Amino acid sequence: MSREYRTFKEAIDALIKWTVERLERTPFAAFKFTFPKQYISPFGYLGTLTAIVFLILGISGAILMFYYTPSIETAYASVKEIQESVPFGFVMRQIHYHASNFMVLLAVFHLYYQYFSGRYKIKNEVLWVTGIILGILTVLEAYTGYNLILNQRAMLAINIGMGLTFSAPVLGPSIAPILMGGGYFDLIVRFYALHVFIIPLLMMLLLAVHIPRALIIDMPMILGVIGAIFVVAGMFPAELGLRFDPTVGAVEVPEWYLTSIYAFLRTGSERFWAGALLPLLFAIFFLIVPFVDKSKRLSWRDRPFFTAMGIASILMIIVTTVWGFYVDFSKLTVFEQLYVEPVIYYGSFGIMTMVSFFITYRFLTKPRGRPAPAKPLVLSPRAGTAGVVVTLLLVLAFSWLAVLTYLENLPNISMFNMGMSMIMLGLMLHIYRHTAFATART
Amino acid sequence: MSGPSQKRRNVLRALLSAAVLAVLAPFSGLARYFYRENASQTQRQRIANLKDLSPGTAIFFSYPRTGDPKIDGDPFRQYVLLMTRDGKIRAYSRVCVHLWCLPTYAADRGELVCPCHGSIYRDEDGVAVEGPAALQPYPYNALPMVRLEIDGNGDIYAVGIDGLIGLGREWRVRSPDENVVRV
Repeated sequence: MSREYRTFKEAIDALIKWTVERLERTPFAAFKFTFPKQYISPFGYLGTLTAIVFLILGISGAILMFYYTPSIETAYASVKEIQESVPFGFVMRQIHYHASNFMVLLAVFHLYYQYFSGRYKIKNEVLWVTGIILGILTVLEAYTGYNLILNQRAMLAINIGMGLTFSAPVLGPSIAPILMGGGYFDLIVRFYALHVFIIPLLMMLLLAVHIPRALIIDMPMILGVIGAIFVVAGMFPAELGLRFDPTVGAVEVPEWYLTSIYAFLRTGSERFWAGALLPLLFAIFFLIVPFVDKSKRLSWRDRPFFTAMGIASILMIIVTTVWGFYVDFSKLTVFEQLYVEPVIYYGSFGIMTMVSFFITYRFLTKPRGRPAPAKPLVLSPRAGTAGVVVTLLLVLAFSWLAVLTYLENLPNISMFNMGMSMIMLGLMLHIYRHTAFATART
Repeated sequence: MSGPSQKRRNVLRALLSAAVLAVLAPFSGLARYFYRENASQTQRQRIANLKDLSPGTAIFFSYPRTGDPKIDGDPFRQYVLLMTRDGKIRAYSRVCVHLWCLPTYAADRGELVCPCHGSIYRDEDGVAVEGPAALQPYPYNALPMVRLEIDGNGDIYAVGIDGLIGLGREWRVRSPDENVVRV
């Protein structure tokens, strides 16, 4: 190009224009990115947030691969090295660990928001089904990940997972040896391959089908989520745990997204039917729901049966998860501490599920009067400003109190501070765009 | 369309199918790639001699032995050969069918005791009588057995496994005595 630009800004603008025009030949042009100019509810773009956390997991995981060795003899030692002696290794591991928790959590919220607002209809069946499969793969990815440390907790999870696979009817006995190989020395390598390549690759392929063409990129909220990962990592840093030793018993509870399955196994029921069948029914229900719920109605109020099913499934998750975490330390032996009485367990499980279902169903099918028209909210500019200022002061006071309380004995203050600064940056971005947009309007 | 052109097309189609099959046929055994070969539990391996055992003693061994300490040290290859107090020879997998810890032999009580959650197995048939393993339904409540052959010199050989390691054994189908053969 022989044209001359008078200012630097002109040159940059021309370069951007040139690049954007050429990008129109790529699949990028199919996406419509929206950078919202004011606050919008994050429920609508929880999927984007999940994908961004997935990206963070990819980056931090790839960096962890520089030091981690998938070998039965050195795996634990290499994680210990990352945690204790590699510069920034601790931070990397904490990001990776806590981001995985956030990803599962965000995916669950995403699922339920889309479920209750009936988004699986209106030609979204493919998005919905791929989303459910992505959710299952997310849990499998997290599961294979925390097994790689080879501590007591990992071995418990490996054991339960392999036991379930082995006891699956028909295919189980031939699939399990593929994961297991000749023993633990093979298993660790195979889980590593699954964790760093096979499952993420499947997830990315599915993501190509699952991703909608209109994407909302809300920078303040993204910074808030990343900051929250750091804050949680600062407050509850993941520990190494004890190195796996098959001659020592330890009371261990799996990660929170697997405790619900663990609870079933602790009742002493037959492995597969307890530990895999119910989660499977759960997944199948969500997979087929768009093909069963054929009504044209989207709102949760107008779909009493499916809303009640959704509420009951949430109660089901809560009850089983709480039971999974329950350990009775008053008992003497490890076994007695972990044993869950089947009658009490299945009783509470059944009662809570059914009661929540019927209460929700009755509540929604009860004839309602015409709802009163919503009162328009009128705020005088001054009253609005005062409210905002008071709220901000309260938030500031509380967060400062929290910081002071934790400052004394916080396990990892630096990550907490890093997270806080990210959240503050997000807040500042939000205030900036708000004021910039407001002045542009007037 | 019919006639000679259709016939020619059919021949070509058959040829094409045959060609695809010919290319894919060598891959039919691909599934074997995913299973480790030396994990097959049919190897004949000498463990000990009858003279090494007396009532209430146990010998720990790994099977199938490869010579590589990393592989031989794997919990899934750990077994115990024991002589009960009334002189029966038995060999069991050491992987507890509950949560895969490694039980040890308590000779004075005639029991295999798991150190983790306290499962207790009888030494004469490997069936769990107490603890979490005993609560698991049949056949997930017994230790897998090593099939043994004892020759004229008193040498004891492992020749196979009865049951699935870490899972259980159908101990009502095949009695423990059938797993110890004198040749």
